[in-house]
Amino acid sequence: MMLLRRFEIHQPSNVAEAVQMGAHFGEQASLYAGGTELLLAMKHDVLRYKHLIDVKVIPGLEAIELRDGMIRVGATATHRSIERSALLRSRLPVFTKMESLVANVRVRNTGTLGGNLCFAEPHSDPATLLLVLGASVAVEGPQGRREILMDDFFAGPYETRLAPNEMMTAIQIPLPSGRWRSAYVKFQVHERPMLGLALALETTEDGETFSRARVAVGCVSPCPQRSAAAESLLTGPRPEIERNLPLAAEALADSAELIDDQQGSAEYKRHLIRVFLRRAFVKALEGS
Amino acid sequence: MKHGEFRVVNHSVPREDGVAKVTGRAVFTSDIRLDGMAYAKLLRSPVAHARILSVDTREVLRQPGVIAVLTGSDLHGIDPYYGHAVKDHPLLAIGKVRFLGEPVAAVVAEDERSAYEALESVGVEYEELPAVLDVDSALADGAPLLHEMTYRTGGFRGFDDPASTQPGNICQRIHLEWGDAGAAFTSAAHAIEGEFFFPMAYAYAMEPYVSIADYNDAGLTVYSSAQHPFIVRNDLAKVFGLALNRVRLIVPFVGGGYGSKSYTKIEPLTAACSWKTRRPVKLQLSVEEAMLTTRNDDARVRIRMAADREGRFVGLQATILLNTGAYAENSPLVARRAANRVIGPYRIPNVKVDCYAVYTNTVPASSFRGFGATQVTFPRESQIDELAERLGCDPVELRRKNLAARGESIHSGLRPLDADLSGDLSMVVEALTDRPLPKGHGRAVGCSASDAGSDPVSSAVVHVYGDGSISVVMGSTEMGQGSHTVMQQIAAEEMGVAIERVRVVSCDTAITPFDRSTGASRSTTTMGRAVLEACQDAIAQLRNMAADVLKTNPGNLVLERDGIAFQKRHWRWQDVLGEFFGLPDCSIIGRAYLRKAGDLALLPLFWEVGCTGVEVAVDTETGKIHLERLITVGDVGLAIHPAMAEGQDLGAATMGLGLGLYEELVYEGQQLVNGNLLDYRVPRFSDLPPQVDLLLAENRDGIGPYGAKGGGEGSLNPVPASLANALYSATRARVRRLPLTPERVWGALTGRTPELPNSFGSSGVRPQEKDIGR
Repeated sequence: MMLLRRFEIHQPSNVAEAVQMGAHFGEQASLYAGGTELLLAMKHDVLRYKHLIDVKVIPGLEAIELRDGMIRVGATATHRSIERSALLRSRLPVFTKMESLVANVRVRNTGTLGGNLCFAEPHSDPATLLLVLGASVAVEGPQGRREILMDDFFAGPYETRLAPNEMMTAIQIPLPSGRWRSAYVKFQVHERPMLGLALALETTEDGETFSRARVAVGCVSPCPQRSAAAESLLTGPRPEIERNLPLAAEALADSAELIDDQQGSAEYKRHLIRVFLRRAFVKALEGS
Repeated sequence: MKHGEFRVVNHSVPREDGVAKVTGRAVFTSDIRLDGMAYAKLLRSPVAHARILSVDTREVLRQPGVIAVLTGSDLHGIDPYYGHAVKDHPLLAIGKVRFLGEPVAAVVAEDERSAYEALESVGVEYEELPAVLDVDSALADGAPLLHEMTYRTGGFRGFDDPASTQPGNICQRIHLEWGDAGAAFTSAAHAIEGEFFFPMAYAYAMEPYVSIADYNDAGLTVYSSAQHPFIVRNDLAKVFGLALNRVRLIVPFVGGGYGSKSYTKIEPLTAACSWKTRRPVKLQLSVEEAMLTTRNDDARVRIRMAADREGRFVGLQATILLNTGAYAENSPLVARRAANRVIGPYRIPNVKVDCYAVYTNTVPASSFRGFGATQVTFPRESQIDELAERLGCDPVELRRKNLAARGESIHSGLRPLDADLSGDLSMVVEALTDRPLPKGHGRAVGCSASDAGSDPVSSAVVHVYGDGSISVVMGSTEMGQGSHTVMQQIAAEEMGVAIERVRVVSCDTAITPFDRSTGASRSTTTMGRAVLEACQDAIAQLRNMAADVLKTNPGNLVLERDGIAFQKRHWRWQDVLGEFFGLPDCSIIGRAYLRKAGDLALLPLFWEVGCTGVEVAVDTETGKIHLERLITVGDVGLAIHPAMAEGQDLGAATMGLGLGLYEELVYEGQQLVNGNLLDYRVPRFSDLPPQVDLLLAENRDGIGPYGAKGGGEGSLNPVPASLANALYSATRARVRRLPLTPERVWGALTGRTPELPNSFGSSGVRPQEKDIGR
């Protein structure tokens, strides 16, 4: 049994109160939205907080809804509730399928999407997919509300661009049109995935050309990463794109600042990006 | 196969501990709370090798709830060095630390959290020393010494004296030789040589180490999650200068051992905390701390094998370098076993083996299920497949040609083989080849033979009570393997009573008679036989009592189930006891003491053989291997409890799967970097193959009760090698380093040469020709 140091838990009744508590306790406090990563880090004594602000108890913050053509997932929606959401299963199945691959069912039952993104663990599955879905996050802080594009959200491993005392309230995903094909694939041996790769392609009416492409790779570098060069190589007539896949994979790997770590060498990760970009491509276009 | 004459044994009866365990009522050491109990937490060294210049405890003693702090300089009045093989292990670091993670101070507080939070208030000043982190640097000329002093040997050192009674970083050296290996290789038609690496691994048990010690005027009582309570008692008696009857070890259910809880671990330190505070003290480690407590010996093995034109093995030569870590623990015995077990179940006329256990500044290595066998079976069985390819013959046939037959000697000086491995191999092959091999899959078989059973000293007491109920009092510890149930079955079978009438009492060294250990797959064989003999002793007494009561000659009484018959009347044991004593509830005691004598004089008590088959699928793009099929043979003589024997094989093979594909403790410099369950990968249910065949070979050829012999390790040993051979059969990629991670497999598939850590080759000297000892 790993021990936690003593801390106090606080239960705000709304977002404003949570933000206020955060401002009050400053660096001695952290928001607590599931704890599957936070408490583990605290048990390992990597993080120390005297106060945890339990945002899971804030009513309504876990809602999943469709609003003005946007999917809006409340920050404290659990992975499991997203995985099982009827709305998301019918309107954004790539998202529910990705969520069904997150960690294990115990983690999915407890961990929340907002918590996952705010912890900014480099091996996050949702972060990689949300990058290619063009998502943004809604945040609220002492200065009011604002939105941050997922593309701008991560500042580094375990670091986000949330200002001090700002709190994420929702994740917003524009509903893709029927022409978008997307897939999330991952490779895993250890508890954490070794690679996550998300691909979204917008096809023309005949399905033979890709008018827009988004691709992101996670786990292999300090932050999940998109690559403009790779995306440009994935835009054009389908046969050309199929030929371009190895080049696009190289471009994606180049943008990702691959590092050698316990999960594998940079060279192997580069190879995996090649393998899984092709697999994602096949998977995205399955049945189309 | 069923053996019809049995009523209770050879049947898969409900487990003695089953209901308690699945309902959460079973008591483990961590469930126990004593009145006035305090809690200890440990401050561990942040460096691998250093002199301790000073320890400042003033601040920590001011922390809330703190009762005491114990350091290496507080141990005057006791003998702080313990070890059953070599007394080299101080219960807390004294003067210097020898690995990163070594306990330097223990803080005792009113509650566990206070003890934990106070740890950082202990101020320790270190002067770092150069660290030796691998075998090569430990053996290099002028290498820093881990142990500047020499040590006394322990009382349970086995049959070899450890080398660490002499100065140097060599903890143990074993030399084994018969025939003339040099000449055999010179004249052999085929020879093959290679180098293999078996990684550092942790025998993960769900329950980490936990002990409670209560030192008071009556002596020392310790509750502990220990496989070998009597050997722990020996260490504690020596540390505290107490008579054996003043040291009481109580072992509740153990939450998994796999060798990691064999011999003494945290008990002396827990006891010293109680000795200092005169309070009962509990010390429980986290899994992360357990990973800093014990591991297996990782092994670099250079091996060569030679065969004649017909494919008969003519020679085997091996040098085995074990990385033993900072303290000897059980590695001197592991070294002996590794040397014996590299030979396998084969007839080899010329053998030369050198095995060295080497101290390094890493976590101490000790027993791990398989006990040296996994480390050496991987290279030998890999090489047999390589040799088969060289000879152009089928790997199964090459094995069949060289397997020793039952009764044949495989190791001069040891008991001849007591198993029919050819028969086992046929069972595996028949099951494995019952359908065509899918494209991209590979298959392989593997064999092993382990000199098992340890020393045969086991004793048991059987109480027969006046109401006909029975208690078996014995020292085997129940760690999930099912020994309580097996002993209950044997007593019920012998005494002729229903199994519910038999209670098992274990283990409390103040009550239960001596048993060497629960390990080496020995309990069913040795303790099972002791229980059987104790029952027979009770029956002999009861028969004499009946004769006395009935005023007849014992020879006139006919033994029946649960009693005797005399003149057509059945007398139950309880009737005999009632008549004999004239009071209700009176009981008698049957007893048995086993020792190295008679048919138990020749070691090993039995050969624990392994014979497994696997089929794997390989994703050649990523290098990921998935086990599709597993076949084990439990060659156990007679399965006292068939379902549990099969469970042992599945568990053992699953550990083999972990070692083969996933598990490796990784050091970066001085630091163990994956010593937690997020980064250290044990197998999960989703890793198990879709198809598993657990076969039993019941030839009644063991020396245990009813012809039984031990199981539980055999089906682990060949699995990693079988995985490597199946990978080769699927892809022609040969990987000589475990685990077979996707990246290593991909490297082999694409012609990248996987480096072996600290290769023999780096020194440019072939180990067979180098006297490493000098």
